[in-house]
Amino acid sequence: MNFNPEPFDLLGGAADWAAAIGSFVGLVLLVSIVTALAVHGVAGPVYVFNRIKAGFVDACGVSPRRTWALASLTIKEAVRRKALMVFVVFAVLFMFAGWFLDDPSEHSDMQVKVYVSFVLTSITWLTVPVILLISCWGIPEDIKARSIHTVVTKPTRRIEIVIGRMLGFATVATGILVMMAVVGWFWTIRQLPDDVDLVCRVPVYVEQSLASDPNAPLDEAALKVSGFSFKDREGNLKPTGINTGDVVEFISYIEGATKARAIWQFKKFGTQYLNDKGQLRLETRFQSFRSHKGKIATQLLCQLNFTDKSTGKPVGLPAFEVAEFTQNVFELDRTITYFDADSGESKQVDLIDDLVDNDGTLRIEALAIDSGQYLGMAKSSLFIRLPDRPFAAGYFKAIFGIWLMLVLIVMLGVTASCFVKGPVATFLTLSLLIMGQGFREFMLRLTGEEKMIGGGAAESWYRLLTHMNPKQELPDTLGTDVIESIDTFLLNLLWIVKHIVPNFGNFKLSTYVANGFDVPWSAGMLPGVAMTCAYVIPCLVIGYYSLSLRELEAK
Amino acid sequence: MGNDAVIQTSNLTKIYRDFWGRKKVRALNSLSMEVRRGEVFGLLGPNGSGKTTTMKLLLGLLFPTEGEITILGKPADDVEKNERIGYLPEESYLYRFLNAEETLEFYGRLFKMSAQERRQRADELIELVELKDARRRQLKEYSKGMTRRIGLAQALINNPDLVLLDEPTSGLDPIGTRKMKDLILKLRGEGKTVVMCSHLLADVQDVCDRIAILYEGELKIMGQVDELLKAQDKTQLLTSRLSDEAVEDVKHVLAKHNAELQQVDQPTDSLEDLFLRIVSESKARPGQRYIPDENPAEPAA
Repeated sequence: MNFNPEPFDLLGGAADWAAAIGSFVGLVLLVSIVTALAVHGVAGPVYVFNRIKAGFVDACGVSPRRTWALASLTIKEAVRRKALMVFVVFAVLFMFAGWFLDDPSEHSDMQVKVYVSFVLTSITWLTVPVILLISCWGIPEDIKARSIHTVVTKPTRRIEIVIGRMLGFATVATGILVMMAVVGWFWTIRQLPDDVDLVCRVPVYVEQSLASDPNAPLDEAALKVSGFSFKDREGNLKPTGINTGDVVEFISYIEGATKARAIWQFKKFGTQYLNDKGQLRLETRFQSFRSHKGKIATQLLCQLNFTDKSTGKPVGLPAFEVAEFTQNVFELDRTITYFDADSGESKQVDLIDDLVDNDGTLRIEALAIDSGQYLGMAKSSLFIRLPDRPFAAGYFKAIFGIWLMLVLIVMLGVTASCFVKGPVATFLTLSLLIMGQGFREFMLRLTGEEKMIGGGAAESWYRLLTHMNPKQELPDTLGTDVIESIDTFLLNLLWIVKHIVPNFGNFKLSTYVANGFDVPWSAGMLPGVAMTCAYVIPCLVIGYYSLSLRELEAK
Repeated sequence: MGNDAVIQTSNLTKIYRDFWGRKKVRALNSLSMEVRRGEVFGLLGPNGSGKTTTMKLLLGLLFPTEGEITILGKPADDVEKNERIGYLPEESYLYRFLNAEETLEFYGRLFKMSAQERRQRADELIELVELKDARRRQLKEYSKGMTRRIGLAQALINNPDLVLLDEPTSGLDPIGTRKMKDLILKLRGEGKTVVMCSHLLADVQDVCDRIAILYEGELKIMGQVDELLKAQDKTQLLTSRLSDEAVEDVKHVLAKHNAELQQVDQPTDSLEDLFLRIVSESKARPGQRYIPDENPAEPAA
């Protein structure tokens, strides 16, 4: 789960998509024309043009009736070939899972996390192999058994076969997933103790913080308007707090009994964030870091301060003990009573009228009280908690994420099976799945703007062979230019691969639900939806041309 | 292309190549032929002569290396033409997990047919190919003959103008073979064009109007079956049974016209006719069986 969620940049994603598709199409066109010239001579480009035209004609002539006939055939095939046997495994797994997961001594948050993670992970790992295998083997088996001969000799367009297969397998995936999801939901509800509060929290975080934006200027003016910032022990604005050891990189610490603060500024704050009772619900989850034992029987103390817009003075809430490994929740009435140290009196302020400044910003500062102790905070450590949603809402959104992943696997599997045999298609799709799950960060690092120490592949080989220190500059020679050119070429190639390999991490929405949160649309679901949609057209085009340009007789 | 030409090929050549594009085999070499509307056309040849390759080129399953194909006025890769074509493959490559009804329903949905039309047509065809009792059994439980019959039914689901049959009688018993041949003639009677390829010469002779003989990918001969089979230098008379005396008289008459009586015998049924007669008699009189003579006559020395 991303605890620092940012809204998905749909336009940026679309631009990246267009760039990747444009590069790919350009490359394919170039290769096609060169190949056609070699095979057909000067008539080659005309041949390529006619093929492209035929593709458009076929795409326009797609018949929903035929496509659904093929999809229905696919569904029948999957059912009669016992793809639904996966339910047996599912049933056995869930019959005995409770024995191993049940731990009443565990905190309720953790119990929810364990059960929900188990259910969603089981569903993912049971459905993915089944769907991957059936989608990769459907068309190759048809070609091998030559059943496809009886289909393509009817007025069926090849694009209809591709769409029909994708639609059929996606329907099978949907059926399997829905049944598993419903069973999993009831199972989770029944397994968890009655006192466990199964809800989906809906957080409102402050907007983009400067600390997470490396391109933003870090001057004081910028920090003043930043959604999340820190003050050091002298009270100077800083983008981050103290680093106590890089355990969790995105968390910074403030020192107790100093002027150190963590500051959250909620923009456009208004009554829309208050609940039915007119209360503001805040939730915090801070980390404690003790530099000395202190009062071991009590947790570290923290205080939240607002700022009175008319006086500029802090409006402090009562200090509270920071709950370890769980959260503190505050329900604040609109009228807040606080102790004014200057006058020594209790005073009252209105949350909206007195604490929200003229440009609509609500500023909350957190400070640590215990001297020599530290509290760790990140942007997402304090948020406004809107009314909770039912657990089912988040759970089925996470299931929707799995469904999107299955649909993408179906599309990739069917596409691969249009040009290679079943085992190779399975291997290819599985490779994309593994690369998209585990190696994406690595590829991003390689193709990032930061230069790798030791250079690219060619430079690294050169350094290895010549025993050259990675930090040492390469000599300014023609050989260096050649090496750098090769590395640039390889990196550009990797850039294309990076854009081809889907980011399967976008579909892992289970972490939100397992941690008790609702799945946000823009930061959680939209990347997955956009990712799946992005592959529809490329997969259809590749699948169609692969099937059209090959002789279906050939084995 | 003539107005009555349903299929026309010109210099049709197919060379199979290996993965590296090297020439492996020339399966078909410059085939130019024409199939006319309403005829039964037979493609004959031994195994590997290029019959099935020709059929698959016509259907767009293979791409020609050279040459052109026009079917029903359209190129072979135009899917629209398939609305009017029925194809029975050499083996019945159907979906074995479907039953007969589902098979015909599936293939029917690939054509512009309403649900009612599909149901009606499926019922007719199931009746025609005599699979009424097995209509709900999955094809994987079918015998080879039954599979061929349902294969034929799917080829006719759209009531096609042109029917392409690859080895239509392969795997059928003599009764099935006869029924298949009768059906082909019935289709011709309905004005449909039938192209069949086979290496069973008797079947081709029985039903085809015209044939083409292929050998090692080349067209060796093409024409009307009757014309091709007619022995130009002989005359055949068929009379009621003649006595030995009458045969002698005929010899004298022939001698007067400088002709020679080369063979005198009684016409025989074909084995197929005999088989069909026995089967039909057995159906009419169940229980009757052949009892071998306990004292068979000694064969003549």
